[in-house]
Amino acid sequence: MNVVVPAPVSIIKVLGVADDELLPRLAEAGLTFTADEARRVADLLGRDPTVVEANIFNTMWSEHCSYKSSRKVLGEYLPTEGVGVVLGPGEDAGIVRLATVNGKSYCIAIAHESHNHPSQVVPNEGAATGIGGIVRDVYCMGADVIGVLDPLRFGDPTGKNAERTKEIVHGVVEGIWQYGNALGVPNLGGDVYFDSSFDENCLVNVVALGLVVEDEIIRSRIPVEARDTDYDVILVGKPTDPSGFGGATFASRVLDEERALDDKYAVQVPDPFLKRMLAVATRDVLKLARDKGVAIGFKDLGAGGIACATSELGAAAGLGVRIDLSKVIVAEDDLKPEVIACSETQERYSFVVPRELSPEVLRIYNEVFDLPEICHGSGASVIGEVIQEARFILEHEGAVVCDARTEEITAGICYVRESRPREFTPKECVLPDGLDARGVLLKVLGAVNVASREHIYRHYDSEVKGSTVVRPGEADAGVIAPIPGVGVGVAVACDGNPFYGAVDSYQAGAVAVAESVRNVAAVGAHPIALTDCLNFGNPEVPEVVHDFVEAVRGIGDAARGIGLKDSGEPIPVVPGNVSFYNQSSGGSAVLPSPIVCCVGRLVDVSRHLTMGLKAGGNSIYLLGRRTAKLGASALLRTVGGDQVAPVPEVDFDDERRMMVAVTDIAESGLAASCHDISDGGVAVALAEMVLSSPEDDPVGARVSVQRLSAAETGASGAASGTTHDLELLFSEAGGYLLEVAIGHEERLLNILEDRGVWYSRIGTTVAGGGLSFTETADRDFSLSAKELARPWTDGATEVMR
Amino acid sequence: MMESRARIAVIRFPGVNCEDETKRAVESQGMDCDILMWNGPRERLAEYDGYILPGGFTYQDRVRAGAIAAKDGIVDLLFDEAEAGKPIIGICNGAQILLESGMVPGITPGKVEMGLARNIMPDRDGYYTRWTHLRIESDTSCVTCVMTNHDVTSIPTAHAEGRFVTIDEGLIDRLFENGQVVMTYSGVKGEAEPAFPLNPNGSTRGIAAVSNPSGNVVAMMPHPERAAWLSQVPESLSGRWGAERRGAAGSRRVLTEPGPGGEIFKSLGAFITERLRGRGGEA
Repeated sequence: MNVVVPAPVSIIKVLGVADDELLPRLAEAGLTFTADEARRVADLLGRDPTVVEANIFNTMWSEHCSYKSSRKVLGEYLPTEGVGVVLGPGEDAGIVRLATVNGKSYCIAIAHESHNHPSQVVPNEGAATGIGGIVRDVYCMGADVIGVLDPLRFGDPTGKNAERTKEIVHGVVEGIWQYGNALGVPNLGGDVYFDSSFDENCLVNVVALGLVVEDEIIRSRIPVEARDTDYDVILVGKPTDPSGFGGATFASRVLDEERALDDKYAVQVPDPFLKRMLAVATRDVLKLARDKGVAIGFKDLGAGGIACATSELGAAAGLGVRIDLSKVIVAEDDLKPEVIACSETQERYSFVVPRELSPEVLRIYNEVFDLPEICHGSGASVIGEVIQEARFILEHEGAVVCDARTEEITAGICYVRESRPREFTPKECVLPDGLDARGVLLKVLGAVNVASREHIYRHYDSEVKGSTVVRPGEADAGVIAPIPGVGVGVAVACDGNPFYGAVDSYQAGAVAVAESVRNVAAVGAHPIALTDCLNFGNPEVPEVVHDFVEAVRGIGDAARGIGLKDSGEPIPVVPGNVSFYNQSSGGSAVLPSPIVCCVGRLVDVSRHLTMGLKAGGNSIYLLGRRTAKLGASALLRTVGGDQVAPVPEVDFDDERRMMVAVTDIAESGLAASCHDISDGGVAVALAEMVLSSPEDDPVGARVSVQRLSAAETGASGAASGTTHDLELLFSEAGGYLLEVAIGHEERLLNILEDRGVWYSRIGTTVAGGGLSFTETADRDFSLSAKELARPWTDGATEVMR
Repeated sequence: MMESRARIAVIRFPGVNCEDETKRAVESQGMDCDILMWNGPRERLAEYDGYILPGGFTYQDRVRAGAIAAKDGIVDLLFDEAEAGKPIIGICNGAQILLESGMVPGITPGKVEMGLARNIMPDRDGYYTRWTHLRIESDTSCVTCVMTNHDVTSIPTAHAEGRFVTIDEGLIDRLFENGQVVMTYSGVKGEAEPAFPLNPNGSTRGIAAVSNPSGNVVAMMPHPERAAWLSQVPESLSGRWGAERRGAAGSRRVLTEPGPGGEIFKSLGAFITERLRGRGGEA
């Protein structure tokens, strides 16, 4: 037998070393944590850490992994529980119940993350690995991924960074389609905003949804059975390489131009082809475990790689693992143990399975699916075992390079950051004189943050899997019927108007929830869950912390205030993600950007609604009062310069009443179409409904501007004339537009009255298309479908190209 | 003679991603369907009455879309089954495999006579997804035999390389004369050779699907499995199918009734029945 001669284990001297000596030493070792944090590691271990241990703690204690600045706040404000919640935050994805069909409880697994820094540095790979990472989080719950969405925020396409911004837009969109389309998951939506605050920090958020049967959920933990059976730790996927080493710490500091080149190496290399093979092969592995009736643990490898995934598998069960890093399949020789342990090489999962199952698991990946042959040396191998003592032990070439208590590795650390409000007061907005509503509507329709996103979403495959019912562009939310042969629908939408963040972070959080709920209700679905991704600047800046806390408070209040339709309980915020340090070394931070995704259920998907007008001679109803507050509105940005004016506050009771009424109306089959009111207000919403009607049978609308305002509550006491009209037409206060056939109006009105919704019958649909406004303060006006289409279609195309 | 259900094999090459919905669409037309691994036992292959190469990104589209899979041993076996007259449908990436293998157009079987090149689209590049209107140009192939020439149907496309091209002088005319051009992109009323986006990729003379000379092997870019039920049809779609979809809005028919893609798979079933009958009920 060959005796392994242990390699010398390198140590990082911390104990009794002064800061001035320690800091350069840490920097030299590529460690980003503070001298105090380094000492805390040594105290925990009761000795100086090995290089491997130092790297592991450095990663696990990064903002990205530990949420050290945000954990306390999230726990304080967000509702995460409810009768429908199977799994709240804490694991890779949250899980809520969707429907029980023939005794099977089908659930939706959902995860929501950001991949901002990587996308700014290498847009294509950054965005692609964003999708790659988020779908892993869902697959590893035992779910099949049934859809992805991507809320995107880019710089000012006409500003000083215009050229770079266009490169980033193109690269990000390309990365999303190249990965998502090849993987074979439908893209169900997202949103796109442009603003100069994102010039040096684009935001690329990603959401993934999965379908899983409740009793087939796989937990990211070692099963209790491992207490009296031998369990192996298996690593499967891409051979481990240095890519993404230090990725978590890279995501946990501000971007620095001079380091852009090094940062490139912190971004991983995507492989959707291998991911697809893994997804299909893993189905067989999970089925094998079910058929044999054995419990297994399954977790994806993301930030922190092998160290993070396997230590969390152990900690979740109060058990330990012993991993031999020499057994890890690597892409190149002579990788340092800390690199093998912490690299973020993509497309990898870890399993803990009973030892007698291991050979069969390896066979499925390595022989049945032939991974080593068709995916360049990828495959599955046993890299370690579960141990009863709750220790995390890594060996390399016969030497122990890490030996710590498992929960010490995973416990992370927590900071309470200083918080201070931004000093500014929004001023009442002033609209310039002499505006004509017709010209303004055309201008707003063509505004880069309002115009059609078709150029982008036509890159995305929205129909693969064959369960898509409503595609991007057809309604306010994407809709799928994910259970073959069953009429249950899932609706999903993402929102987060960044311009609210510039004025009022609390409202930014609240409106992100309200708008995403509206989007889901507008297709006829009941909200069942929320996710959030909180994109902010540097948490060491007190103003940033204040904005962050306010946004979280707004999300929590809205989730409670609007509530689930039936029970009125808070809409659970199942998983969430926090992305700090979206701030350039130049100091400019992104607008506070809480982005929320809402998932809804359609009991009968055939009763869903889309936004295109269906037929002439129908009535058009407005739900929701208009207001004079134009802060953060498309109108103000288009004609009012960069005024920072008060935003409309979200009225949770009104939002709830409207959500309940609209879903009642959809379920009763009383509406022909429905669209929520957001960017550009009623005017833009109407134009979109007109432009979404069938090309060969176009339908238009004829609307009274006077009827947009309630007699008892004029939009603005002060304003009159054209200004008043503009407020009514472009107010972005929450609301809905409904197209209703004459014969259905009585029943519709009953529902609206019962639910106590403010409404007004504002006009009728007309065959032939076009949009005309009557009873205006100044001059009635109309626009042909062609006139509406030009700015809306072309407005953003150039910058998205 | 015992009435037996047609059996279809969907071939799973590494990287395909439409196999499950393709299987469901086949089954929705009263056929049995199995998904076979590209490296699985080969002897079972001959048991099937027809074959489908589904969409996806086989072998990561290395070299060219479909190029690696076309060299796989299983394709040689499919050649033999095609010789025997069994239907083979290549959808999207599957179409790319059939062209790369020289099965289609197959004037000289095994010779690569046509390719599927990068989309050419005004002011954009890469992948493009859109519902297209298709005019039936040959109603005898295994995907159109229940339809009639110049019928117009609507099926979605989703690809980055879907432009039928050839360097063979006169090949295109010959394919039209032979009835090997199965479908072309058209206007909603069947207007021929429309511009982008009705022709979504700049394909030569709007060609969307091509068959071998005997019409039992068809390479088609549109995805019929994404149009197998009314629920998959966009409400705002122009033409007959959009109207049908809107007419069914709010009723269960949306979920239960076949969409335009149903006719493609129905043709497959009819083609098999016809073939078996033609062979004196050997089945």
